[in-house]
Amino acid sequence: MDEERKPALSLYDLQVGYGSHKVLGRVRADFYPGEVVGIIGPNGAGKSTLLKSICGLLPLQGGAVGLAGQRLTHIKPQLFARQAAYLPQTADISFSFTALEIVLTGRYPYLKWWQQESAADIALARACMRYTGVEDMADVPLREMSGGQCQRVLLARALAQQTRLLLLDEPMTGLDIVYQEQIFRLTAELARVGRTLLVVVHDLPLAARFCTRLLLVARGRIMADGTPSEVLTEPLLTAAYGVPLCVTVNPVNGHRDIYTPEPDRDVAGSRAHQALLEAVLRDDERTRYGGGSGAWIDIS
Amino acid sequence: MDRHFIMTMAALLLLVLAAAAVSLLWGQMDIPADNVLRTVLEDIGLADYEPGAVPADQRAVIEYIRLPRTIVGLMVGAGLAISGAVLQGIFMNPLADPSIIGVSSGASVGAIIAIACGLTAANILALPICALIGALLAVSLAVFLSRQHGRVSVLPLLLAGLVVGIFLSALTAAVLTVLEEHKLQQYLFWTIGGLDYRTWDHVSLGIGPMLVGVTGMLLMARQLNVLSLGDVQARSVGMPAERYRLVLLGLATLTTATGVCISGNIGFVGLVVPHAMRFVVGPDHRRLLPVSLLAGAAFVVLCDAVGRVIVPGQEIRVGIMTAFVGTPYFLWLLRRAQRRGMF
Repeated sequence: MDEERKPALSLYDLQVGYGSHKVLGRVRADFYPGEVVGIIGPNGAGKSTLLKSICGLLPLQGGAVGLAGQRLTHIKPQLFARQAAYLPQTADISFSFTALEIVLTGRYPYLKWWQQESAADIALARACMRYTGVEDMADVPLREMSGGQCQRVLLARALAQQTRLLLLDEPMTGLDIVYQEQIFRLTAELARVGRTLLVVVHDLPLAARFCTRLLLVARGRIMADGTPSEVLTEPLLTAAYGVPLCVTVNPVNGHRDIYTPEPDRDVAGSRAHQALLEAVLRDDERTRYGGGSGAWIDIS
Repeated sequence: MDRHFIMTMAALLLLVLAAAAVSLLWGQMDIPADNVLRTVLEDIGLADYEPGAVPADQRAVIEYIRLPRTIVGLMVGAGLAISGAVLQGIFMNPLADPSIIGVSSGASVGAIIAIACGLTAANILALPICALIGALLAVSLAVFLSRQHGRVSVLPLLLAGLVVGIFLSALTAAVLTVLEEHKLQQYLFWTIGGLDYRTWDHVSLGIGPMLVGVTGMLLMARQLNVLSLGDVQARSVGMPAERYRLVLLGLATLTTATGVCISGNIGFVGLVVPHAMRFVVGPDHRRLLPVSLLAGAAFVVLCDAVGRVIVPGQEIRVGIMTAFVGTPYFLWLLRRAQRRGMF
């Protein structure tokens, strides 16, 4: 087999979930170097569960994971962390560790228990931070950073692991449009140099623009696996999200617009909805300032 | 190693030496400084004076009272402070302290059993040994109760430690209600941690476990950094987080329990010292642990020395002194955190 076409990551009939609760079953897929795979699907569909199970944070309920075409039966977590880096969805750091200290922990998989980080490790950590644009914040505690800076520091930590495989769980959460696109550009560039990336994304139009392949996760399984134009179709998305979804393609730049249409209610439905709204906004004595005089502020 | 850290270590080392000197100088008997110096130099083999240069009674006070007392103080202070830093790291909670996992209540049960059974009259070390066993058993019980599928997570462990602590306190209280008056007093005396009547026996009992615990914790400072970022962050770089947590917990327990056993409950050291030192050197445990070690040693010995002379003719036990100093500091920390919107 051609070295280039050996899958970086293979999922053999994976079954994942928490305890006795099964979330996803029969997950079968091969991921190749150079791919940016967007994992999309409704909330609670099991996107994060899938990533966590792949990197061993959750025990597998069935099936197996393969790296570089080899089915793994058992691998030491430290060795796995040299192959795959995982960027968790939330980072709740308890102490005021600085950005550089956090990024340096990405070198953990390469250090023996008695070793400390070398000058080369520190240089690498700094290079990773320069790449994600946070080098000038090396000595700033992570706690004092904005969401965007924080995510870029954690991405630098994942890069410092120097792995062929990157598993990113919603790296764009809470970021503004500029940072979102910047992180996606970085992932696309990493893919071009032969890395494999699995990214959980909620923003479907962005996923369509930057991912080479999409995995639609819903209803306890992989509902679709293909290029963005194959996966982002109205019937598939409607079935996955359980509400009607519209997809239109912008004729100028080819970007997609994905949205839910205005709810189409009949007369009775509209009336019921109006009644609900009135119940929510019901006005009475207690809600008025100034003892019901009607004035918002009663200064007399 | 950066300059700031080296300077901090040097300053703290000087503080430890100063604290030890003060502790050897101050006390009920007035002993001139040169006699103290002569005795110590002679004892460690650096000098040789003609016999009788230091009066025998003064020499005895230094060698059999003040030296063991100072050394026990240094050991206990260092051990409690470094264990506090490690426990705060493991539990990712800057308010964790050695009492949180049931160490103190376990030690209390051990102590009360030793007192109730009259073992303390038979051997001076019976009480510390029983307390050590009690503390280790209490933490083992908390770990056992919080195990799930062979794993121990932070929150269940914290809650199990709390429950075990409450249960053992009730057990202690139950024994207390049926105890005779003089035994009650003995127990009360033990609960307020103190360094008086410490002998070389206490030093030799404590030094082994303390050295094992402290060395182990210092060696694992880098791993503790990764661990203190949280389970998910630690495991995502391939660290077997549960295993490291248990090992560090074991080392911290051994050290704290030994400290509590040879000196009773000395509160606030494990909580306040690492906290204060984090302001000085930051959260990196490779700096925090050695700095806390020195600061803890100096803090306890200084508190003990001040307690000896602050009220003429009376002695205020070190456990009371650390609380008197620790409480205002802690309240100040709390106010500061509130002002900065951390709560």
